[in-house]
Amino acid sequence: MGEFLTRAISVVAAVVCLNGYNTVLGKREQAKEQIRKQQAELEQSANAAKEGTITDGAYKDGTYTGEAQGFGGPVDVEVIVENGMISEINITSAEKEDGAYLSRAEDIIPTILEAQSAEVDTISGATFSSTGIKEAVAQALEEAANQED
Amino acid sequence: MDIHNLTAKDRKKIYTRLRAMIQLMYFVFIPSVYTAAFAGVKYIFTRIGAGEKVGMTSFVTVLLVICLYTMVFGRFFCGFACTFGTFGDALRALYIKVCKKRKKKPVKIPEKAVGILCYMKYLVLLLIVLLCYSGVYGKAQGTSPWDVFSMIHAGNFRLGGYGIGLVVLILLMAGMCVQERFFCRFFCPMGAVFSLLPVLPFFALHRTRKNCRKGCKACAKICPSQIGLPTDGSWEISGDCFQCQKCIDICPQKHIHCGIRKLKGNEFWFTILRALILLGICLRLGL
Repeated sequence: MGEFLTRAISVVAAVVCLNGYNTVLGKREQAKEQIRKQQAELEQSANAAKEGTITDGAYKDGTYTGEAQGFGGPVDVEVIVENGMISEINITSAEKEDGAYLSRAEDIIPTILEAQSAEVDTISGATFSSTGIKEAVAQALEEAANQED
Repeated sequence: MDIHNLTAKDRKKIYTRLRAMIQLMYFVFIPSVYTAAFAGVKYIFTRIGAGEKVGMTSFVTVLLVICLYTMVFGRFFCGFACTFGTFGDALRALYIKVCKKRKKKPVKIPEKAVGILCYMKYLVLLLIVLLCYSGVYGKAQGTSPWDVFSMIHAGNFRLGGYGIGLVVLILLMAGMCVQERFFCRFFCPMGAVFSLLPVLPFFALHRTRKNCRKGCKACAKICPSQIGLPTDGSWEISGDCFQCQKCIDICPQKHIHCGIRKLKGNEFWFTILRALILLGICLRLGL
């Protein structure tokens, strides 16, 4: 029983440590977020004087599709462009990808939306699936840019 | 079908077939649990190393759930559902068959070496964890034999840059032939995590030691991990038991049973039940 208890206590300790680590970091991030918000507000009020600073995005409005190779097969995405900005990215089919990997790889979508470009880092641990999403989006965006001429 | 009235030989055959069938099912339909679970370990340490928050990503969920399952049912996952373990079992069975046909004695790893090799998995785990923590693991892509194996399994043959991984995989395959559960026992980093977990005794195998024949070591000999089973009521459960249950059928006195004794004789159904519970978990997780 002694060994079992030692192991059980170790596991509980590891979980508690992780939790504590997360809580501390969470609080720190919250503080940072607040500072960032205040800064953004300041900048906004400064920018309000100069009107029309919001530039049009680089893409033409519409819904575009793209396909690229994931881990076990093709990954299809749908990219929606609104007001020249990428507003939504949906994965329409990725049948050959493993569930856990795909849902991890989907974390690349917010990054792409933030960067407004497919040139972002892939998700480590789900390299193939996230590369698939990234390249499929890149393909779709190529289409969005091409429509101009 | 009444399993209780079968001869020992027939019963052994049925169990072997049942296990092979469950293994094949998981091999074909749910092949990525082991890598996803270990990706959870890597993710946790990569995030800590980078000073970032550890999120409840799909990998971490898989890791947690499989660890909980193992704490309750022992390493049933390893013995029945791990794709890499199944691959090793198949290679081993093939090697034994070839040896029999050619009337050659199978090569064996000396016992002293086995004793040392057992600790290698902890080193492998430590090395990978440290690499993740220091943030250089991403650069070591192409060295993992698991990546190469799961790529081939998925029909993805873009193996450029995976040369080292391929060589390691081939070396491991040679080892898998020579020793049952070679990788699982000696090098599996996920196995290292499992074997450190506290396993509850209720479904772990025990033996009624006091009635054993003198000098009989049948159970330890057939065991892929050469475990001397704990006696009744003991909480000292070996983390190296893969729940393959070969010992149950080999014991001439039928002394081996789960911590819960009422399950004795119903191992066939209990195995199916455990496989189904695991299947339910996997489906729930969307694997």
